[in-house]
Amino acid sequence: MMCATGDPADSKGPAGDQGPADEDARFSELLEDSAEDLYERAPCGYLSTLLDGRIAKVNATLLDWLGYERGDLVGRRHFSDLLTVGGRLYHETHFAPLLRMQGEISGIALELKAADGSRLPVMVTSTVKTGSDGQPLLIRTTLFDARDRRAYERELLRARKEADLERDRLKLLNTTLQKTLLPPVPANVPGLDVAAHYHIASVDEVGGDFYDLFPLAAGTWGLFLGDVCGKGAAAAAVTSLARYTLRAAAVYNPDPAAVLNNLNTVLNHEYNGNDPRFCTVVFGLLTPDPQRGGFRITLASGGHPPALLMRADGTADYLPTPGGQLIGVLPDAHIATTTVHLAPGDTLLLHTDGLTEAHTTSAGGEDRYGDDALLDFGRGLAPTTASGTIGAVRDLLDSFGTGVDDDTAVLAIHVPRTTCEERQ
Amino acid sequence: MTKHLTLRTRTTAAGAVMELAGDLDHHTAPEVRDALPGLSLRPGGQLVLDLAGITFCDSSGITVLIAARNHAMAADAAMALAAVPERVARIFRIVGLDQVFPTYPTAQDAEGAWHIASG
Repeated sequence: MMCATGDPADSKGPAGDQGPADEDARFSELLEDSAEDLYERAPCGYLSTLLDGRIAKVNATLLDWLGYERGDLVGRRHFSDLLTVGGRLYHETHFAPLLRMQGEISGIALELKAADGSRLPVMVTSTVKTGSDGQPLLIRTTLFDARDRRAYERELLRARKEADLERDRLKLLNTTLQKTLLPPVPANVPGLDVAAHYHIASVDEVGGDFYDLFPLAAGTWGLFLGDVCGKGAAAAAVTSLARYTLRAAAVYNPDPAAVLNNLNTVLNHEYNGNDPRFCTVVFGLLTPDPQRGGFRITLASGGHPPALLMRADGTADYLPTPGGQLIGVLPDAHIATTTVHLAPGDTLLLHTDGLTEAHTTSAGGEDRYGDDALLDFGRGLAPTTASGTIGAVRDLLDSFGTGVDDDTAVLAIHVPRTTCEERQ
Repeated sequence: MTKHLTLRTRTTAAGAVMELAGDLDHHTAPEVRDALPGLSLRPGGQLVLDLAGITFCDSSGITVLIAARNHAMAADAAMALAAVPERVARIFRIVGLDQVFPTYPTAQDAEGAWHIASG
């Protein structure tokens, strides 16, 4: 079949001297001539079927796409025969019923099966043609080639999958990095019950909280808990430096104030100027007290929130270290110390301010949990144990939900009562 | 959840006053840090940070205050804080910064103190 649509338009250009009347004649000729050709060679597939789906008429475009001869289809095949198995199912359960109900259905994505077995994604629109008495006569269907669109969708899907994968990888990296900054399990200290918890506020950014508990010379133990300002890789680098400096300094000289002074010197050398990095830390030295039982603990604080002591007698108080200054930005930071006796039944809780700065109303309210509330919490808990304390803190953090917008580290140590003390 | 931070600077006889209002945190602290190099500070001068409008200050906020202090010290100038809200003052006490920054009720008081000190 000749393609009549192109020729008149092409010949018009060079013959610029033709009159308007002549042009009109050509234009109407073009319209009359093209009705059949438009159907056959339209840029979309046309298909007319009987109400049972049997193919009554099909245009050349669709035959070309599918690689069939007209005789293969007309009167022999049903529209659903051209579909893939999944498409046939969809046609049966959704397409055909909706078409019967509404008289039309549009923009449905289906896949056609070509004569050679290849697949052709199409967008399908169908309408029911009715006779003058309103009775349905046949179904007219147009099919648009959706190969480009499908390729575009596949590309979008692939990019999205890749981004998801990338995000998962980052989360895993952050979580792994976080774990390297914490001891895998708290050390087993004879005569002491230890528990700890690290609450990760965001898996997208590494937080800067840290803690550790480790043996020092002659039955003594060192412990620390701290918070590096900021988040992310830069904060993690400081956290790592702080952790190893504290452990090394404690071996060299276990005096808690000396340990923090050493850390202050190291951080001051490393970070200054426009991007200062600091941390707040509590460092404790635990010494067994054979006379009174339990332990003596000396705590040095570099600007860190005070530890909470929950005693065997049910009372609780903060152990303030007033005047202690944050570590890493002041050349001669003042370190404040306090010494207490941990008697059997006493529990000491160290925390970072992610706990006390948590929003208590998840609707973005201004209320933060606060030091007073934590003190009341401790008074309600005492007397308690290390695991009892950490369990209660975890429940508390859970109750804040998304209100905890900073990482939170908690470390509890408890001196268990001996059996004879319990009997008394 | 984070509110905006508004930042205004003005030049005074003593040096510069930076007025901060809103939340000074992880998200807004870089804004203040970026504004520091633009301040005109001369040796013997004074930088005043007016915190009257600060509603929240976290560790990143504290970092940028220390950066401001480092910036002033590098220019041989002093740094003072004015109108520190109680909840921020409480954080300063915990981390021991109350001993580091001279603090005045208002920016004007800080200015007055500088004039007396520098005769």
